[in-house]
Amino acid sequence: MAIFEIDEVKKSFKTGDVTEQILKGVDLELKQGEITALVGPSGSGKSTMLTIAAGLQRASGGHVMFDGKDMTQMNQEQIRKIRSSEFGFVFQSAHLVPFLTVEDQLLLMLDVAETKMNKKQQKQEVAKVLDLVGMSHRKDAYPSSLSGGERQRVAIARAIIHQPKMLFADEPTASLDSKRSKEVMEIIRNLTKTLKITTLMVTHDEEMLPYADRIVTMKDGLLA
Amino acid sequence: MQMAWKEVKKSKMKFLILGSIIFLVSFLTFIISGLANGLSEDNAALIKNLPNGQFYLNEDADQTYNLSKIDEKQQEDLLKKYTDATAISIQMGFVNDADDKQFSVAFVTATDSKLFPNVKENEIVLDSSLKDDGIKVGDILKNNQFSGEFKVKGFTEKQTYSHAPVAFINMKNYQEIYRVMEMQTVFIPGSDAPDSIKGLESFSNKEFLNTIPSYGAEQMSLNMIIWFLVVISGMLFAIFFYMMNVQKIGLYGILKAIGVKTSKLFSMMWYQMLLITVISLLLSVGLSQVFSMVAPSGMPFSLTMQTTLTLSAVFLVIGFIGATISGFQIKKVEPLQAIQQGEM
Repeated sequence: MAIFEIDEVKKSFKTGDVTEQILKGVDLELKQGEITALVGPSGSGKSTMLTIAAGLQRASGGHVMFDGKDMTQMNQEQIRKIRSSEFGFVFQSAHLVPFLTVEDQLLLMLDVAETKMNKKQQKQEVAKVLDLVGMSHRKDAYPSSLSGGERQRVAIARAIIHQPKMLFADEPTASLDSKRSKEVMEIIRNLTKTLKITTLMVTHDEEMLPYADRIVTMKDGLLA
Repeated sequence: MQMAWKEVKKSKMKFLILGSIIFLVSFLTFIISGLANGLSEDNAALIKNLPNGQFYLNEDADQTYNLSKIDEKQQEDLLKKYTDATAISIQMGFVNDADDKQFSVAFVTATDSKLFPNVKENEIVLDSSLKDDGIKVGDILKNNQFSGEFKVKGFTEKQTYSHAPVAFINMKNYQEIYRVMEMQTVFIPGSDAPDSIKGLESFSNKEFLNTIPSYGAEQMSLNMIIWFLVVISGMLFAIFFYMMNVQKIGLYGILKAIGVKTSKLFSMMWYQMLLITVISLLLSVGLSQVFSMVAPSGMPFSLTMQTTLTLSAVFLVIGFIGATISGFQIKKVEPLQAIQQGEM
């Protein structure tokens, strides 16, 4: 059964008198625990598709159904709540908070997601997730002292620590070399399978496609 | 709050700079406020030490007590009707000691009253600041307009006028020195004082201070400096937090993307503002109080704890407003825009 449905989603931008149609009616269903890779040439609308699905921008038309609820009918606060508790994000850059240690980054996410854990449980959960991404030894480090690959691992840990139902990854390996990209993708795959997280991932890198369960190609604002 | 504190800990230098600026501006404000109060005391302690009441000047005096002359008959009637009332005259002048050293004083004379020392003819009661110049009880002082001599009868505390120590003398001696029979003003203490008396214009204590030449202008200039500094500190807060917020737009965007509430980001900023301001103010309050204790005795400086606390509260409010205005950027930040900007 689909946990996430995108139904006839359209997006257009107006620049002066010109209206540009980025998404022309996209339909997509995502199943629980499945990794879907969204591929296609630049400008095909992949990232716009992902950000609309993730509730980071609104569609011009159509419906985005998550867990049976239509996100296009929700207000900003309702969407924020879903983003904080049900969604996880991994971006092209790690986007970590520069003044928080690795451990604090994850504790912040648990706090934002309003999980019903006490401080001790939160710390235990952080230790467990850091272990899963192989970053336990750097829990007290600040982002500035981490390598690109390490930062991305922390970003993944932050994205899944609150056990979201959905993970949105926008070119998660774009800033990494081939070896580190594979490591990161393996972590994403293992975690999503273990925790049964539904993942929608945008990528340009063909080497990452074997990690996906399903590959969807976009072209000119439509699914090919 | 924890996140706000962690940022302060990690970016010590940034917050130290802001704290130093707030400390310096607030310290300067306290010092100038102390000087303004000190000068105000120095200029008008004689009037400020009086209880609340009403001063009456001649209507033709153009609201200047120097030009006021109270009709003798009217004065007599008023003093009879209001038993606590007193007629006062003040004129600048000087006295010479036995070595012919001259001291500038404000000669004050008044009808019998509990508010002023009772001085007999050829006696003088001086402000205690003249003790520092070597004048003692029993000394003989002269004035070239006065045929007799003044014997120093005693000293009063903090009685100055127009930046000069007050010299209380008997009315007859005053009339001889200034060749005038009428008194300049009548003062009726308490709330029973009438709002208007025919032929006279009434002034509250505060209003009367403004009839002293230079008092209003001096205080206005100093108060303007004080409020200018307060406004500048508010602007500093706004500018500094604006700069910090501009630097952190990417971070705010990401935090919003992962679901952090805008109100939490505002709280973070307010906590930081409060922390910096309170620490800076504590330091400047402490230092200004120390300065108040060690300031040279000749320096007109008076900084009460109440003034300091009032100004501190104003600083906190101004800081809060400044930081909040700059924080409107946080509200405008779009998560998507921040993500597209790349690494912070």
